Amino acid sequence: MNPLRRFLRTPEAVAGAILLAALIAMALIAPLLFPGDPQAIAGPALLPPFQDWSLPLGTDRLGRDVQAELFHGARTSLAVGLAAAAAALAIGSVVGTLAGFAGGLVDEMLMRVTDAFQTVPSFLLALAFVSVVGPSLGIVVAAIVLGTWTGPARIARAEVLSIRERDYVASARAIGMHPLEIAFREVLPNALPPVLAMSSVIVAAAVLTEAALSFLGLGDPNRVTWGGMIAEGRAVLRTAPFLSIVPGIALVLTVLGVYLAGEGIVETTAVRRGLS
Amino acid sequence: MSLLTVSNLTKRYRRGGKVVTAVDDVSFHIEPGETLALAGPSGSGKSTIAGLVLRLIEPDAGRIEFEGDDFLALRGAKLRARRARLQMVFQDPLAAFNPRATVARVLDDPLRIHGIASRAERPRRIAALLERVGLAADLAPRAIHEISGGQRQRVAIARAIATGPSLIVLDEAVSALDVSVRGQILDLLLDLQSQERIAYLFISHDLGVVRALARRVILLDAGRIAESGDARAVIDAPQSAIGRALVAAAPRLKRTTQDAS
Repeated sequence: MNPLRRFLRTPEAVAGAILLAALIAMALIAPLLFPGDPQAIAGPALLPPFQDWSLPLGTDRLGRDVQAELFHGARTSLAVGLAAAAAALAIGSVVGTLAGFAGGLVDEMLMRVTDAFQTVPSFLLALAFVSVVGPSLGIVVAAIVLGTWTGPARIARAEVLSIRERDYVASARAIGMHPLEIAFREVLPNALPPVLAMSSVIVAAAVLTEAALSFLGLGDPNRVTWGGMIAEGRAVLRTAPFLSIVPGIALVLTVLGVYLAGEGIVETTAVRRGLS
Repeated sequence: MSLLTVSNLTKRYRRGGKVVTAVDDVSFHIEPGETLALAGPSGSGKSTIAGLVLRLIEPDAGRIEFEGDDFLALRGAKLRARRARLQMVFQDPLAAFNPRATVARVLDDPLRIHGIASRAERPRRIAALLERVGLAADLAPRAIHEISGGQRQRVAIARAIATGPSLIVLDEAVSALDVSVRGQILDLLLDLQSQERIAYLFISHDLGVVRALARRVILLDAGRIAESGDARAVIDAPQSAIGRALVAAAPRLKRTTQDAS
């Protein structure tokens, strides 16, 4: 059966897809809906939500439009989540493929490096990296990747270890294909499905890590981030809780949407693989 | 001069402290254009010998001479270039191809790797290869998993002959096919052999097929050569215990039909 139709029949997957679509739409229309600097002062300070319909989500301590910040924050979250996941999956699958396919000393060396990265808590690694190099969007992405590429690397390696014994790898060697071409053209693409299944977990973790870094004041200071908004609202948590709650809800829904949609994709493709 | 000379080939595996000798001091030779069969029960070392001859597995001891050169001394790019002359066809025609491949890609690879045809010329060469093995040229864009088992094994043979080899190792190449398709593939192999003078190292547990295809046969038992000689003579009157066991295990019907022909 058509995997898309099976996907659409799973209610969780559809809910996830809707949440994700909303997030992507927010990120895309942010500059159209709220042109100009979202960090500019738009009205009186600490205006509660639903009071003034030109500022439906109210304003923060400095009088900045919370809704504009929320939309622009979606851009940051999405960019960081996708960039970090893409980089982590790319680095992880290349390292895992090389380790699994080459075996011997190369495998031993690469996997000990992987171990070293995995023993340090990934958030601590990110924290240390950003505080040393300095906060900017690229650095934040790199910091998150440092702690997340090891998972895909291990899974890719395990998959490659089983694939390299298959007849079609022997065939590729028998026709004289270069080992690197065998590794990246014959083996890697077939090792990818279980690695890609991790992408939703990684995107969700990256969004949360970015928020946590921003909350600690280590996010890119030139960009609005949800973590930064929560940190901003913390000072007035008793008098104006909505300043933390609104971006908090956005964060929860984003992570939930990524998880559900990811799970849905894994589920539908898993069934398809099982059938073929 | 022999095309392939294998001398005192030995391969041991270490399995949990115990040393298993998969191939024990095996020697044989193949002349240009002839078929030598390796037969034996499962675990007798047939497929290990195929892997050793193809340099997919490295031996612990012994010599392999191919086309007058020390084949075991070749490394890296030189080894890859020489592989054009020594090809193989596997038992399971589905497992032998990348599950993502199309027929065209499978045949394009050897032509590209060995620089046999330019990019522009390759589609024509692929069509010619497909026709050579009795397939329609419009099969090229199809995915490997879409075509039938018999068609797949023909594509595997097309891939093996793409580089103009002098020897093809056929590792149980017809064992997974049903009987009607098996006959057609055997006919194709015999036709290719008579036209292009390709030698075959034919590995099989099916003595009926061995008898029909090979001039000489080697019977293996636990990694050693138990018996060897003229295929018909050995199969009609086996001297070794393993030879008698293999002949007794072969389906009667098949032997009588071949005796009749």
